[in-house]
Amino acid sequence: MTDVQPASSVISVRRPALWIVLALLVAGAIRMVTFGARFATTYPVATGVAVLLFALLAVPFWWFVAELEFLEREPIVLRLIAFFWGALVATAASIPGSTALEDIVAKLGSPHLAADWGAAIAGPSVEEIAKTLGVVAIVLIARAQVNSVLDGIVYGALVGLGFQIVEDVVFALGAVALAGQGDQVQPVIATFLLRGFLSGVWSHTLFGALAGAGIGYLVVRTDRSGRHRAGVAALAVLGAWACHVLWNSPLYGFGNGGLALLAVLVFKGLPPLILILLLVRAAHDREANYYVGHLATLHDPELITEAEMSVLGSGARRAAARRHAGRKAKPTVRRLQRAQARLAVELSRASCSVSDGSVGRCCDEVREQRRIMIALGHPEAVAAPASWRHSASTIATTALAVAVLWMALSALGGA
Amino acid sequence: MGRVARRQLANVLGALGLVLVLAGLAVGLPAIDQALPADRPVRHDQPYLIGGGIRVTPPRGAVLDVTGTRPGADTGTVLFRLGPIRYSISVRPFDGTLAAAATSLRRRITDTSGYQVTGTQLAVATVGGLTGVQGGYSGPGQGGRYAVFVTDGRTIEVTVSGADLDVGSELAAIDASMRTLGGPA
Repeated sequence: MTDVQPASSVISVRRPALWIVLALLVAGAIRMVTFGARFATTYPVATGVAVLLFALLAVPFWWFVAELEFLEREPIVLRLIAFFWGALVATAASIPGSTALEDIVAKLGSPHLAADWGAAIAGPSVEEIAKTLGVVAIVLIARAQVNSVLDGIVYGALVGLGFQIVEDVVFALGAVALAGQGDQVQPVIATFLLRGFLSGVWSHTLFGALAGAGIGYLVVRTDRSGRHRAGVAALAVLGAWACHVLWNSPLYGFGNGGLALLAVLVFKGLPPLILILLLVRAAHDREANYYVGHLATLHDPELITEAEMSVLGSGARRAAARRHAGRKAKPTVRRLQRAQARLAVELSRASCSVSDGSVGRCCDEVREQRRIMIALGHPEAVAAPASWRHSASTIATTALAVAVLWMALSALGGA
Repeated sequence: MGRVARRQLANVLGALGLVLVLAGLAVGLPAIDQALPADRPVRHDQPYLIGGGIRVTPPRGAVLDVTGTRPGADTGTVLFRLGPIRYSISVRPFDGTLAAAATSLRRRITDTSGYQVTGTQLAVATVGGLTGVQGGYSGPGQGGRYAVFVTDGRTIEVTVSGADLDVGSELAAIDASMRTLGGPA
């Protein structure tokens, strides 16, 4: 038994959990729309700008998650349910829950304790539970779709992304209200830069991914004892909670200013980021090996060559292969890679008799793309050796982006 | 058939478990919060540190509401209750003028649906020489007073709210307390 299982493409509407989860989504939507309407009527321009900016911020995260699950795409319905669970249900439960828990800390401890540690205790404790329930909801709706630890990561990250977007919009509008300057967008932009860019990377998407990995492990690793799996899942959720606590905590208070902000990012944000990205990479590689392994059994270079196998399992190498193909052949290489991924998933299903019999159709699809590539004079989807130009351009672009962001923050008084 | 029914039942129970945990977070925690007392006795003969080094002597008969009190190094809020009256003070870093601080507070009051500023804004001073402005506002079923001070890169915002009659009866005690606002003793 590996930590990847063949995926089933079936989502049954006869599962009662689907309807209960949909009812929760509707209830959450009503709650959040009611909550947001107060801001929208008082600050219509700021609300519109906040929703637009943070919705745009979701695009690169969504793209990253989509690239993670390139080989086995999760159904869009489930991805949307995960996203909206975070955006509507988890937020609707967390707003009153976190406030109440912080007040309880003040009542059972002291106002000083609540001021220093309230956000670190209340936020993570309520929010991580509410978000993790989103991955559990996906398991209840379509257990067969969560067939690898990576799937748990993907759903957890999407729940976290939905939560992050709505929370950021709420924070931005809170900043507008606190500024007391009416319907102004400057507080929204300052919040967008601070929460969206500087702290957005190690926020809820990351914590959700870690908790989701635990739920994925609990569901998939049926070769292990229930106690072991539950222990790993609990550890992952606890890890997400701990990362969140560290981020919200008053530890490493370096004062104000740009350097202090940088120090906070390095000491409180970077360690969890690196840890979780390593975990994501390991889960991704395992899933890639599983699916590419199925393609390897074909021994048919028309379907996939040896070199393409090493490319298909890595997001960076897939992108490099598309770049190497040039403008003309690039779309075809993408379609070939997609077709190969679909074939791999179908082969895995066929190996466990859960296929819908479409292996032959998938093979035809790959052959069709191969024919087009040969006609374009680019017969193999392989990556060129790493060029110093590409590396230099990546470094320069990153440096430029950081510099622009830093200047924007300084101009807005955030740094 | 029995197996399918068992699976369906497990699925329903799992989903209801989700609902139960969510209800625990969204309803249970607020219920526990409500059940716990928020008031703490506070001495009216010595200054209370709000935050950012700003202190105030609470009015006689006031209690501290810990749900609205968050002291901090740079910022802070305190909420006193005199029966049904809320007497709240918040301290925040601020680099503008007194007029800008007053405009900002008035705007926040009027941004709340049904609330409006009433009467003329008057000058106010503390015993320590801190000068500010104060005014009144009214909202659905209640009225209130506000005052703003700016000192050492901080704004001190005072809001008093409650039913008009209640506020009127305690205003002298609150004014006396407000005049004690200032830095370290």
